[in-house]
Amino acid sequence: MKKYSILMQREFAIIVALFVMLIVFTIVDPIYISSGNLLDIIEQSTINGLLAIGITFAIITGGIDLSVGSTFAIVIVTVGNMLKAGVPPFVAVLIGLVLGYLLGVVNGLLVTQMRLQPFIATLGTMSVYRGIAYVITGGWPVLSMPSTYRKMLDGDLIGDIPVSVLILFAFAFVGYIYLKYLRAGMHLYAIGNNEEATRLSGVNVDRLKTMAYGVCGVGAALSGMILLARLGTGEPTAGQGYELNAIAAAAIGGTSLAGGKGSMLGTLLGAVLLSALKVGLIVAGVDTFWQFIATGLIIIIAAYFEIIQDKIQVAGYGR
Amino acid sequence: MPDITFTHISKQFPGVKALQDVSFSIKQGEVHALVGENGAGKSTLLNILHGVYPEYDGEISLFGTPVHFRNTHEAIQQGVAKVHQEVSLVQSLSIGQNILLGYEPRKGRFIDYKNLHAKAQALLDELQLDLKSEHSIYGLSTGEMQMISIAKAMYHKVSLLSLDEPTASLSNRETEVLFSLIKRLKQAGITILYVSHRLEEIFEVADRVTVLRDGQYIGTFETRDINREQLIRRMVGRDVSAFAQRLQGRVASSEVVLEARHLTKKQVFEDISFSLRKGEILGFSGLVGAKRTDVMKCLFGAEQLTSGEIFMAGKKISINTPQQAVAAGIGLIPENRKTEGVIKNISNEDNVGISCMHKFLRWRFVNHGRKRENFLSFVPVLHLTPPDPAYATSQLSGGNQQKIILARWLSTDAEVLILDEPTKGIDVGAKAEIYHLLEELVHTGKSIIMVSSELPEIIGMCDRVVVMHEGKKQAELEAHELEEETILHYAMGGVQ
Repeated sequence: MKKYSILMQREFAIIVALFVMLIVFTIVDPIYISSGNLLDIIEQSTINGLLAIGITFAIITGGIDLSVGSTFAIVIVTVGNMLKAGVPPFVAVLIGLVLGYLLGVVNGLLVTQMRLQPFIATLGTMSVYRGIAYVITGGWPVLSMPSTYRKMLDGDLIGDIPVSVLILFAFAFVGYIYLKYLRAGMHLYAIGNNEEATRLSGVNVDRLKTMAYGVCGVGAALSGMILLARLGTGEPTAGQGYELNAIAAAAIGGTSLAGGKGSMLGTLLGAVLLSALKVGLIVAGVDTFWQFIATGLIIIIAAYFEIIQDKIQVAGYGR
Repeated sequence: MPDITFTHISKQFPGVKALQDVSFSIKQGEVHALVGENGAGKSTLLNILHGVYPEYDGEISLFGTPVHFRNTHEAIQQGVAKVHQEVSLVQSLSIGQNILLGYEPRKGRFIDYKNLHAKAQALLDELQLDLKSEHSIYGLSTGEMQMISIAKAMYHKVSLLSLDEPTASLSNRETEVLFSLIKRLKQAGITILYVSHRLEEIFEVADRVTVLRDGQYIGTFETRDINREQLIRRMVGRDVSAFAQRLQGRVASSEVVLEARHLTKKQVFEDISFSLRKGEILGFSGLVGAKRTDVMKCLFGAEQLTSGEIFMAGKKISINTPQQAVAAGIGLIPENRKTEGVIKNISNEDNVGISCMHKFLRWRFVNHGRKRENFLSFVPVLHLTPPDPAYATSQLSGGNQQKIILARWLSTDAEVLILDEPTKGIDVGAKAEIYHLLEELVHTGKSIIMVSSELPEIIGMCDRVVVMHEGKKQAELEAHELEEETILHYAMGGVQ
């Protein structure tokens, strides 16, 4: 891989940004640094974090998945309906995961078999999946989820560590192992950097890409089921626009939309950064409208950071 | 008065001295060739001259006045322009629009197309190019696009024009047209700085030649006072036979490893049959458009056959995907290293290991140490530089990139290696190394199919040669029948 010193690595830059934020918001209101608030920041980042980790897989292959917010909604209403019908929570969650995976695989097949551009393919399924979520519920929300389910996904485990946070970390950890230590992971980066050369190296590019979209669907499913547990109700409108936050977290974390570059830690930190900013602005009593502006600026700054990084790289190694 | 003088030019990159104290001058109106192996510093020198690298030590003077270009734009304004190795034209615009891009004449706020095409056409006519300004760029040959790039440079009234590997993707005829254009430019008093790996061209077109080696200036010679061998010796600093030849004797056995029967891809090629024996180098010769690459891609499963049969060791196999080809023991080293071979931003060890990651698994996880060892095991065999497993392959020289791809297939234990134009764009020293490696490989029992457009390479290296012409097999020649005239006769469609 490219060789940067640790100081030039994206993850390090985000950690520095997080510390700066921590100091600034703590000066504004010391409550920001309380353990309860910090845990809250992480917990707030789980919904977006899980989506972002999934989408990182699609982006690494040089693709994108705009349909994650809609997949999220389908899983919410399906799992919600199953729970209402008395399906045991554990079974419902498994079915939810498989459903998310399959919806992702459909995207993958559109991209690899019909050769559609990922942006267009998932723009299409974004609308189709959203429609399906409405059709399933007739437009009505699914109400009053059983408390066993809610505890299972949104309760506290050891101490007051929320289950959702553990799920986020576990998903990121599995993703990390996958990308770093499974040969499929190395192949995904290769596909993003030069798909044709990877194909000519004898790698089954279509299968891997399809699977990457599947992972994207699994992230959406996990995320949706946690929101369902957290709110106790599931709406077919849930998750609208979430794909953009997920892409933002991945991009802030150093995932290149051109493909071939990105890491689980980066995406995770990107999601936490967005969440820390949001919570901080609330603590500071800043009008919510400003959140949009701040989020946008962070994305732009992160992207510019990348340009500077590349310039240094070129100056260092170009010949 | 020399047109351009370089005085004590040095350029340092972190860890590498790209140029060290280079001084020489170029006379006005001459064609001055710049030669050296990859990594000798030719590109660095061009980039400094044209303002791409504004930071360097030393001094450049233009007609006796010191100049220091901070960007290419400044260089062009002073009459110093470069035609890029890869042609950069806008596909959707017409020829005239491309030539005057950024300098379109206007009438009020609108582009004055009549004036634009008149100006462009006048220039095209002056350069005696048979092109119409209104025509689209789309569909033109690489050669024609190169002419347009030169015309574009001429529009800016340049006094010095650099051509960086201008003939790399030109046919013989296009090369001739380019050379006659260069001669006309020279007559018009324009100085040409000509960078090429093809020594024949340098002797044909250049007045003087400057040799660089490892960033150092070796010397400037009149082309009529030096011969090819002397020039090569100065480039590599040692005596190597740049000529492809078998040094270790031939080892082809009678055992057939791979047999292709009646391979046909509709409207591309038809009825191609051949067999490859163990330890043999089977050449595929032909002109551009003979569809040799398509045959190879089908053999490797990257493109689909319409009909035909493939046998490996006497057993019929079907190859529809590259995975099946790899499983059958076939490896492909594609023609376009950059787009089909090397994976950018990926380290050497990954580029080498990508086709056989299963070998590095411990339980189901990739053992990065084994992957690294695999790379390192090829370093002494292939003389890879730098021998750094973490180095990005796309930053290496062409020759080393080719060796990385070769190592990729050697890692898979492929029995049959298909090499498509293996020495394209590679410097002399690396070429000789590649030839040597191919010979080593057949000695270890591998079998090789080599597609090449370089006749000396085909004649010197191959045991047998299939000659193709426009999608058909025209002839199959044995080693003793290999002569340039014979091969060209069949390649141009001649019959037995």
